[in-house]
Formats: sequence, structure tokens, C-alpha cells
Amino acid sequence: MYELIDAFENVRDFMEKGGPVLTAIFIIIFLLWALVFERMMYFRTGHRKQVNEVMASWEARSERTSWYATQIREAMISQVTMDLRSNLSLIKTLVAISPLMGLLGTVWGMIEVFDVMAILGSSNVKAMAAGVSKATIPTMAGMVGALSGVFASSYLEGRMNKEAELLEDHLTKDH
Amino acid sequence: MRKLVSVIIAVAMAGFGSTAFAQSAAPEAKNLDELLELVKQGAYQQNQENKRREREFVEQKSQQATLLANARNTQKQEERRSDRLEAEFKANEDKISKLEEELSHELGALKELFGVLQQVSGDAKAVFNGSIISAQFPGREKYLNDLIAKASSSELPTIDEIAGLWFEVQREMTESGKVVKFNADVQYPSGEIENKEVVRVGTFNLISGGKYLEWRAKYQNIAELPRQPKDRFLETAAGLQAADSGIAPFALDVSRGTILGLLIQDPSILERIDQGGIIGYIIIYGLGPLSLLLIIVSGLTLLVTRGKVKAQIRSDEVNENNPLGRVLSVYDNNKSVDVETLELKLDEAILKETPSLERFLTMIKVIAAVAPLMGLLGTVTGMINTFQSMTLFGTGDPKLMAGGISQALVTTVLGIVVALPTIFLHSIVAGWSKDIIHTLEEQSAGIIAVHAEQGQKGA
Repeated sequence: MYELIDAFENVRDFMEKGGPVLTAIFIIIFLLWALVFERMMYFRTGHRKQVNEVMASWEARSERTSWYATQIREAMISQVTMDLRSNLSLIKTLVAISPLMGLLGTVWGMIEVFDVMAILGSSNVKAMAAGVSKATIPTMAGMVGALSGVFASSYLEGRMNKEAELLEDHLTKDH
Repeated sequence: MRKLVSVIIAVAMAGFGSTAFAQSAAPEAKNLDELLELVKQGAYQQNQENKRREREFVEQKSQQATLLANARNTQKQEERRSDRLEAEFKANEDKISKLEEELSHELGALKELFGVLQQVSGDAKAVFNGSIISAQFPGREKYLNDLIAKASSSELPTIDEIAGLWFEVQREMTESGKVVKFNADVQYPSGEIENKEVVRVGTFNLISGGKYLEWRAKYQNIAELPRQPKDRFLETAAGLQAADSGIAPFALDVSRGTILGLLIQDPSILERIDQGGIIGYIIIYGLGPLSLLLIIVSGLTLLVTRGKVKAQIRSDEVNENNPLGRVLSVYDNNKSVDVETLELKLDEAILKETPSLERFLTMIKVIAAVAPLMGLLGTVTGMINTFQSMTLFGTGDPKLMAGGISQALVTTVLGIVVALPTIFLHSIVAGWSKDIIHTLEEQSAGIIAVHAEQGQKGA
């Protein structure tokens, strides 16, 4: 129990050192990873189901070569790909925003450093420490969020392209 | 001769025509003879007077001699007295120096003691002045001032007074280890003064009613800090005041108020925006609301359109209140044409729909790109201000440069603050718009095909 309280206090102190920007970055990273996991889950459940349904309805068709059939096939593939790709642009945006938030934190912290300098002069380095930690910690957190997000989003994109191609291969026109 | 003179006078009287001339010369003399007589008489009288004086002087001569002798006597007497007094003065002076020597000899170590006493009470005064314990025991200063005045003058402080200093220093030390409650006047930021229960934690903090107070040495009063630290610290302050015994957690400012003092210097968000100057205002009050407005308008319309398009996909009826419905109605109106013509007509209809779906999105994107650039502009103008003050005042004082630097940094922050939500919300709104356009481009033909096949089956 005490370890939990300790851990909680450590996290709280860390967040306080980083300032409000760090909180925002944490929310962004949390949102980012929540979306990534939602996509992973979707590949296993919703997507499988949808692919099976589409393939069943395609196979059930009497003919698969006419203009109508081609258009219907296109529409089906488009619908599946759209569902597959939803949220990907959001994930990419969050990845792009994350280092920007880090930059915001840097500038914010520098403002605090200069405020302290304006009040106490440049000799009191200890008083500037709060501003410096507010400048550096969010930058680091933003970088960590962006880097992990880049890997996740590029993995997701590759996976989506593969799934879309697979579906196209499954919906054969001639037989 | 007389005749000549009278002739001259006659000529003169005739020549000037005036009687005043002769009259003013001698009022008592009617003529020259009379004048001469008068002069004669005057000389005689003078002579008589001089003679009388001479007689008087001769009579007084002996008297004067006695007066002189008297005066000489007095002088001699006074000279003798002066010699006597001088000798006495010298003797007294010798005596004083002898006694002073004796005094310093007798004082000996005591003299050093008074020096130390003076120094210690001076130090104690400085400490007491800044110490919050003075809030609880006011008036300690007067006693110390009296003691310093006494120790530095020739007067000797009494043993009681010396012991008093020891008591005061000891009390400061003892009180610094205590957490006590007492009543005192507290000044609020509004200016009101109220007598309240105040808790003092050693020499570190004063709290009252869950708020941190400040001891203002300059005015020797207690004031509530206009800006308070975070709530979780204030909770510990309230908890400490409510606690009667045992252990209570408390967020202590070990710097004796310096850290809490910095809190007040920390400007509020509005003051920060003010630091950004004109460019800051343009970013936060111009670009920010504009992008928010555009996002809300386009977001709402796209959300409604998206809902209608989804409903259109599900329903069999063609409803022309949405883009997909309008594209589908092209097929309804051209059922007889061949497939290639139909495809061209569909493409045309889709092209017609896309601009309204992408309206405002470019504008939002432009704002997202411009906001950080404006921040950069503010940074550069701020740096220009900084360098201007540097050329004027040199680099010695960071306070003079602070204005330009904070402008530079604040505009950057404002630029990012506006750009971030704009980018984020743009990606969401653009996602909706892309969804609809994709549906139109890739699925409208498919939906038509499904409808057509169903129509054929029905027929």
C-alpha cells in the first residue's frame, strides 16, 4: 500500500515538475496509444468479421465480371478500407503534435527561467531550476511520445495496406 | 572803499533784480558794520568759554590721577586672580585624566562586554525585524533600541537589562521550535484588516484559515498572500490549523517566505498575454477565435452531412438533401444512357459536390501554418527589442532585457497554443470531409449498381 502511495507521489511530483504542458502531453500520449490499441483490436475482431461478410456476399453473386459487379466490388473494398483506415490520420496528427507540445513546454519553461532572472538576477541558479525542469521534461516526454507513436503508426499503416491488398486478392473476378 | 562795496552791491541788486540775495547772507546784520560787530562779539564769547573749560580741566586733573591709580590697582588684582584660576584648572585637568585612567582601569573587561552587548543587540534587532515571531511578540524592537542607545553612551546598562537581552534571544530560539496559535491582525489583499487566529510554524510560515500569510517586516504587519500555492498545499495548512495534537503534515516553505514570495511575482495568464505585445494579441485574439469559428462551422455542417450520407447509404429512397443523394439522382434521371456516359455524368456530379465539402478546410490549415509563423515573427521582434536595450544599457542587467525576451517567448507560446488545437481539430474535421468524398468517389457507383441489380431482379 505504501509503495503505491510512494509511486503515486513520485508520479505527481514528476508531473508537477513538468508543469501543465506535461499533463497535456500525457493526455495526448494516452489518447495516441488508446487509438493504436483500438486499431489492433479492430484488426482481430471487427475487420475479420467485415472481411468474411464481404467475401460471402461476393461469392454469393451469380456473376462477377459485369460493370455492375466491378463497381460493387470497388465499393465493398472502399468501405472496408475506409473502416480500416479510420483514426489513422488522427493517430498521425497526434504523433505530429507531440513534439510541438514538447516545444511549447520548452518555451514555457524558458519564460519561467527569464521571469526568475528578471526578479532575482542571473546569479541565483537554484531558483531557475524549476523553470529549467519545466523546459526539459516536457520536451523529453514529447519526444518519447512522438518516437513511440511513429513506430506504432508506421506499423499500423503497413498492416492496413497489407489487409486491404489481401482483401482485393480475395475478391477474385474470374471464376 | 565802503562806497565801492555799496556800488558793487547796488550793481549786483540791479543786475539780478532780486532782494533775496542780500537778505539771506546774514539775518541779524542789517549791514556790514553790524556783521563785523557780531563777529567781534562771537570771538569774545568763544574766548570766555575756552577759558572756563581750561579752568575746569585744571580742577579735574587731580581727580583723574586718582581714577587712573584705582584702575591700575584693579588690573593687578585681576591678573593675580587669573593666575590662580589657571593653576586650579591645570590641577583639575590632571585630576580628571588621573580619574579617567582609573575608570578605564576599573572598567577593564566590562568595556569589552558593552561592545559585545551592543553588537549582539544590533544583530538580534536585525533578526527580530525579519522574523515572523515578531508577529506574535510585537514591541521587542523598542527594548533593543533602548539597550543599544545605552550601551553606546556612557550610561551603564543594568544587570536586569543585560539579562533581558539574553531572555529575548533565548525566546526567539525557543519559539523557533514551536507551532503555536495566537490572535493577530491580518491584512487581506482587499485592504481589510481583521483579527484572526493565526498559526505560526517555527520561524518559517504563518497560516490562517487554510491560507498562507506573509510577515511584512517593512510595515511590521501580517498580510495574506494575494496568490496562494496549489490546493493540496492549502489543504495541509487547513489541516494543521485544525489539528490539536499529534502529527499533521504541512507544506513548509523552508526559505522563510522567499519561495512563496516568488509565487506572487508569477504573472497570471492575462498578464502573460500582455507581455506578447501586438503580435501576441493578433495571434490569440485574431487567429485563435477565427480558426475556432471556422472549425465549428465546418465541423457542424460536415457532421450533419455525414449523418445524412450514412442514412442515404442505408435507405433505398433517393433523398436530394445530401451529396450522395444528389449523385444518385443523376442515375435516376439518366437510366437509359450507357455505362460510360453514366460514369462521366457521375464524375461530374461528384466534382460539383467536393468544393462545398472542402470549404473552410484550407483556411483552417492556413491558420495552423500561420500561427507558429506569427509566433516566430514575435520572437524576432522581441529579440530586436532585447538587442536595442543591450546597445543602450549593455548586457550587465538581465532585468532590462527581460521585456524583449518575454515578448519573444510569449509570442512563440501563443503561436503554438493556437496552432496545436487547430491542427488537431483540422485533422478530425478533414477526416469527416474525406470520408464523405471517399464515399462519393468510390462507393456511389457501387450503390447505383446495387440499386440497378435490385431493380432488374424486381422487374
